[in-house]
Amino acid sequence: MPTGTLAAAAVPGGRPLGPTRRSRCAPLFALVLLLAALLAGGCATPSPGLLAQPNAGLPSRVELADTPFFPDDSHFCGPAALATSLSAAGLPTRPEELVGQVFLPGREGSLQIEMLAGARRNGAVATLIPGTLEALLREVAAGHPVIVLQNLGLSWAPSWHYAVVVGYDLEAGEILLRSGPMKRQVLGLRTFEHTWKRSAHWAFVTLPPGRLPLTVSAADATEALIAFERSAPPRSAALAYRSGLQRWPHSYALEMGLGNALYAAGDLPGAEAAFGRAADTHDQAAAHNNRARVLLELGRPAQARQAAERGLAVAGPLRATLLDTLRAIDTAMPAR
Amino acid sequence: MKRIQRLLAIVLSASVLNATALHTAHAALVPTEEAARLAGVTQAESGHARLSAAFAREDVRAELLRQGVDPALAQARIAALTDAEATRLADQIDSAPAGGIIGAILLVFFVLLFTDILGLTKVFPFTRSIR
Repeated sequence: MPTGTLAAAAVPGGRPLGPTRRSRCAPLFALVLLLAALLAGGCATPSPGLLAQPNAGLPSRVELADTPFFPDDSHFCGPAALATSLSAAGLPTRPEELVGQVFLPGREGSLQIEMLAGARRNGAVATLIPGTLEALLREVAAGHPVIVLQNLGLSWAPSWHYAVVVGYDLEAGEILLRSGPMKRQVLGLRTFEHTWKRSAHWAFVTLPPGRLPLTVSAADATEALIAFERSAPPRSAALAYRSGLQRWPHSYALEMGLGNALYAAGDLPGAEAAFGRAADTHDQAAAHNNRARVLLELGRPAQARQAAERGLAVAGPLRATLLDTLRAIDTAMPAR
Repeated sequence: MKRIQRLLAIVLSASVLNATALHTAHAALVPTEEAARLAGVTQAESGHARLSAAFAREDVRAELLRQGVDPALAQARIAALTDAEATRLADQIDSAPAGGIIGAILLVFFVLLFTDILGLTKVFPFTRSIR
């Protein structure tokens, strides 16, 4: 084990991070990572000199001082971090309300998958951001507190911990966190980078529908929005998809999502328009099918048939679905 | 052991039946997730395919058998995962170096998954204990 890793285990702030404070916040991940770490040997690639890069356009100091703080001194760092992030996003939440949603008593911790799902259940779009220090600082500079997963222990004796990054100071080389019992933990950027690296730089932002993180990739945003649609009221889902389409106007998945959300919200003309844009731009069977279904409900069976026939021509695995749609149209308006 | 096997068989067949029921109920509108998957926007079935490939390996099967895990049952269990979960698992396996590690990680996964189903542990959020 390289001595650099050992040195990073000591976290400034005067708090011993030994057995007295072992937050087992992500047992599944811990286990897999532990195995990987045990077996990887010397294959680990050190992250490139993030700190050496000139961070063009980043303010040199930021502190989101208004971010709420929920002190936690036991195993509830997951609920506490999530409540901090949700409340900062304008969705007032208390850690106690989240315990039943993101905490596994038997494991005394919170799984990463459940942190994301828990955010969605409370009305936020939870989006993973790229695992780079630059992306992390850019989000903070944009006013978005970021939840990070840290391993405060060693790779082979992990001590998993969720915290919220709320500020940084590039000149002093420091990062500011709401972390466990500490309202304003000041960590050296290098130390932070070590603890964060051991979670494969896992970080996410929660925002109300209609807003997206600055640095998110199209793929991560699409995944987050589709997941949000599953648990959100249709109008919120539509609002969220619109924010995605503003940034990626030609996204087929986002346009389909908007159509489905508007349909669920009862806005048939809006849904038809969205499916129409998806169908015309991308010529996908699902878009033609959904458009045909909405046109039929709008009492325009002739146009519905046209859409369904275009869909059938490119149906692929959706052939049965399109034949069903055509049968429904036939029932409403027998073929001439 | 017989009892455990029977319980597992019941759980597995119940989950398979459940999945079939979901698929045969045709929704009039194609849901976003399916549309994105069909268009190749999100990863398509790759998780399941990659895990199946891992299971086809003789060393993995041998290791599972050696530990008393029927590879066929393990494969059925994989089929019950959603594709997103399967993909995540495959990613974790892929990121490990080659060699005996694949077997080791699969074993950890299956031992925990099976004990989860038996109600002895609760590591995976998506399992339902049978007691």
